Parts: sequence; structure tokens; C-alpha cells
Amino acid sequence: MEVLQYAIRKLLGGIPLVLGVTFISFLLMVYFGPDKTYELLGKNPTQEQIDEIRHELGYDKPFMVRYGEYLKQMATLDFGASDSTGEPVSKVLARTVPISLALITPGFILGNVLGILLALIAAYHRSGPIDKYIMGFSVVGMSISFLIVVIAFQIIFSSSYGLNAFPVRGWNVHSFSDYLRYITVPTLATIFVALGYNTRFYRAVLVEEMTRDHVRTAKAFGTRPGKLLYKNILKNSMIPIITRIMFSIPLVVVSGSLIIESYFGIPGIGKVTYDAITTGDQPILKAVVGLTAVLFVITLLITDILYRVVDPRVSLK
Amino acid sequence: MSSVAPEPVVDETVVDDGSAHRESIWAKTVYKLRRDRLGMVGLSVVLLYFIVAIGVWLGIWATEWGDVEGPKWAPMSAEYWFGTNIIGQDVFARAIYSTKTAFEVGLVVAVLSTIIGALLGALAGFFSGTWIDEIILWLKGVLDSIPFYLFVAAVAFALSGNPYAMHIAMVSTFWTTTGRLVRGEVIKLKNFEFVEAARAIGVPQVVIIFRHILPNTFHILLVQATIVFVAAIKSEVILSFLGLGVQDGVSWGLMIAESTQEVLAGFFNNFVWASVFLFGLVMAFNMFSDALQDALDPRKVASE
Repeated sequence: MEVLQYAIRKLLGGIPLVLGVTFISFLLMVYFGPDKTYELLGKNPTQEQIDEIRHELGYDKPFMVRYGEYLKQMATLDFGASDSTGEPVSKVLARTVPISLALITPGFILGNVLGILLALIAAYHRSGPIDKYIMGFSVVGMSISFLIVVIAFQIIFSSSYGLNAFPVRGWNVHSFSDYLRYITVPTLATIFVALGYNTRFYRAVLVEEMTRDHVRTAKAFGTRPGKLLYKNILKNSMIPIITRIMFSIPLVVVSGSLIIESYFGIPGIGKVTYDAITTGDQPILKAVVGLTAVLFVITLLITDILYRVVDPRVSLK
Repeated sequence: MSSVAPEPVVDETVVDDGSAHRESIWAKTVYKLRRDRLGMVGLSVVLLYFIVAIGVWLGIWATEWGDVEGPKWAPMSAEYWFGTNIIGQDVFARAIYSTKTAFEVGLVVAVLSTIIGALLGALAGFFSGTWIDEIILWLKGVLDSIPFYLFVAAVAFALSGNPYAMHIAMVSTFWTTTGRLVRGEVIKLKNFEFVEAARAIGVPQVVIIFRHILPNTFHILLVQATIVFVAAIKSEVILSFLGLGVQDGVSWGLMIAESTQEVLAGFFNNFVWASVFLFGLVMAFNMFSDALQDALDPRKVASE
């Protein structure tokens, strides 16, 4: 009951955030966004034709009225059909979101799990050679651009100059083995880049916990290293770890896969959104931006509840 | 550097480096930095790049970056050190010229977003709990919840081809982390005695914030500026690939974007050399940034 009350209050508290995001997106993507008037007109239009189209598109209405309509569509989940293909927005989302999730999830999970493992090893051997190697690797990983990794991995794994073992681009998935073939190279690239940042962040968190008194005491009592790392250090570091993982989820869902999707020609939500911005496909933009903002608010809520789960001292006030 | 406002740090044990006078945090930082070998290597490499960039800016070298005169896709040779690209431009000149572009993007974004982050962070921190704080936190929350690449794309199209669309988009999103850190530090600092003392003798609030408190967050700003610099250069590459980056001139990002068409045909010059230059600068900057963090904050555990 307490959690439910808290959830409702938190969701209501998220309204200003959603309003802010929708306002900025409206301002940038619709009000100052691409003007579609001339795309819909024939050659040599008369002034009346121009005015008529502008009226149809709602361009002649005052700013606040247009923003109000935008919000109303958002609130009623009535996004209409895509301007460029005529496909209903809900269908576009239903088609592309699963592809993006299938593409990004393995890399996201492995990137974080391996990051934590490497960080544990590095933190355990703090200042030793193993730690130095791992941290050196992580600085290198941080310094290479994602795009370079993607291109290099494509050359290594998918081209005739390398292993030539995986498809270069596209998304022609009919079975699980197809799926594995198509996601291998993108996933490896994602993990490689994520590892640099993740390992470093997690190591800093773990090392901070390791210097606490309770860890020293546990060590003095002769706790085995494995148990010490898991129970005394990792479990007590869960709050920053959860924060990092949770907060990257909304961004990963939309823009995290944009580069991979456009480079590998995979028809996911990131690619669709990017195309929608460049062509001014407003129904899709509204849906994506609005849903991302809502996803953010929900993530904030779940994160707070997770804090409570890992640390009962945290109160949901 | 030592002329900044009174140090809140008390009980400092003086490091003996031969000088007898009482040391400021900056003297100590420089001392620690100079003993950090990796950090100094990083700094030297960054300075080397910077000299290259200044040379390009003054028009001393790489002036022929746009000339189309060589053969198409020439291999590496004495005349074309790194070969040529698809229309016969010298890859070496382009890679060198791009150093200037990188510093332009990095410096503009780092300086502006640090200034905005410092101002808004200081205001939010000093007036924490009031409506000013609420508004700044709300703005930060909103900007953080819009996916970055989509935001840049939207800004680029809203500004319809303005060459600084990329810079504006980066500055408006990159200040938030700096702002959050400064806010936290200012909340801590505003309860120190030197602030109380300033208030007691009737120093105006604006002066307290900007003359007494903000200079004490300088160590955060410096480290954040280096981090933002790196982030800006790396984002430029992705944005150029997406067609939203540098509009005039050439950059490593544009070279890599260009190379996506040629690597599968076996022409690696653009890709390899732009990558090497980019990696060198980013890696050096990261090493310097780490050393700076260690030197400024002994509790920092980045690379002990």
C-alpha cells in the first residue's frame, strides 16, 4: 500500500518533466521543424492553395493552440498515421521496437555483467598488475569512438578482408540462428565500447566500498575473498550500480541503437525516429518523444523502488 | 592561480618539494601532476596536437586539404603520405587540418558548457530548496530525458543548416553533469565559515556566489571541462556520420563517415588515419584528465 501510494505520487510528480520534454520536442521538431507545405503542393501553387494547405496542416494557428493539440493527441495516445508511409504509428512501433530490443538487449546485459566482473577483479587486485591491465584496457576502450569500433568489427568479422563470417548489413531474421548471425557483430561492438566506461565506473564504486571499515573488519575475521567480494562489497554497492543501469535503459531503447541500426541497416526504432526527424514525420516523432519521456518517469519510479529492495533503510517518502 | 578565494580546506600537511612557503592547492596539484608520468605523457601529446591545430589556424600547414589534384585512391607514398581519397584529396593534409576542427569543437563546447554548468549549478546550489533550484533541476531533468542524438538532429533541423547547430545542441545537453556536481559542492560550501563571515560583513549575495563560492569549485570545473572536451570530439564523429556534424571544412568524423563507403572495397586510408589521429588525441586527453582528477582530489579512486 505504501509502495502504491508512493508510485502514484511519483508518477504525478513526473508530469512537469513530461510536459517539459514534450514542450521542447514540440518547439524543435514541430514549430521550428521541417515545413511540409511545399511537399504537398503541385508545381507553381497559387497563394490560396498554399494557404489552404497551411490551414490543413494547422500552421496558421497560434503557438499555444498547436501545442495544446499536440498534448491532447499525446494524452489520448492518438498518434495517427505516419506522414511518409501512411502506416499507423502504433503499427510502426509494434514492428520496430521488438527489433531494437532484440538487437540491443544482449549487448546491454553482457556489457554490464562483464563490466561488473572485470571491476570486481580489478578492485580485488587493486594497484596490482592485473588492475593496471584492466584499467589500461578500459581507458583504451573509452578512447575509441563507437563508430570506429563498429567499422573495424565489420571489417574483421563481415568482410572478405577478415573472417567474412557474418552478414554485412540488413535484418533478415527467420530463425534463432539467423538472429544470432545478425546480432553478433553489433553486440560485440556494443560490449567493447560499453566495457570501457562500465568497468571504470563500477571499479570506482567497488573500491570506495572496499575502503570502508566493515570490509576491513570482515577481512580481519577471515571472510573468504569470494564471499567478501559478493556479500560485503558488491551487495553494498548496489545503489550506484542500479542507478547507472536503470538510467541508461530509456536512452538505450531509443538512441543507443541509432548508430548500429543506421550502420547495419536494421529497421529498428532508432532508425525510424531518425528518419522521422529528417523528413518531418511528426506523428512518429510525437509518439517516440512522448513515450521516451514517460519511460523516463517510470524508470525513475522503478529505480526508487529498487533502492528500497536492495537497501531496506531507504524510505519511500 | 593561487589568487582564488580563501581555501576552505583546512589541516593540510605541506608536501615537501623543496619550497618552504605554504602551498596552495594549485601548487600541490602541479607538483602531483608533474610526478604522474602517464598524465604528463598525455599532456605533452595534447600540447603537440594543439600546436598542430594552431599551425593550421595560422595557415602554416595543411592548407591544401581541399585541393583535388592527386589520383583517386592513391596508396601511401612519399608524395601522399597517407594516400588520397575517392576524389584525390590528400588524406594526410585532411587529417592534419581536422585537428583544428577537433579543437574548435572541443574548446567551444567545453568552455561554454562549463560556464553554463557553473552558473546554473551555483545558482541552484546557493538557492537550494527554492523555486530557482526547482526550475534549474527541472530543466536539467528535461534535457537529460531527451535522447541525445535525436535532440541534436532536432536542433540541427530547427536551425536549418546553421553550422553551429551541433555546438548548440552539445552545449545545451553537456552542461547538466557539470551543473549537478557544482550544485552539490556549492550546497556544501555555503555552510562554511568564510561564507558566513562574508555574509556577516554585508557582502551582497551575488558577490558571495561568484567571488567567494564559485572559485572554490574550480577544481570540479577544470576536470569537467576536460571530460566534456573528450565527449564533444567523440560526439562530433557520430554526428558527422549521421550528417549532422561539421558543415564546412573537414573533420575526422567526416573522414570516417566518408570511409564507410570505401572500407568494404578495400580502401582503408581515410578510416585508419582519421581513427589513429582521433584515438591519439582522445586517449591523451583521457590520460591527462585522469591525472588531473587524481592530483586535485586525493580521495578520487580513478587510478590509484
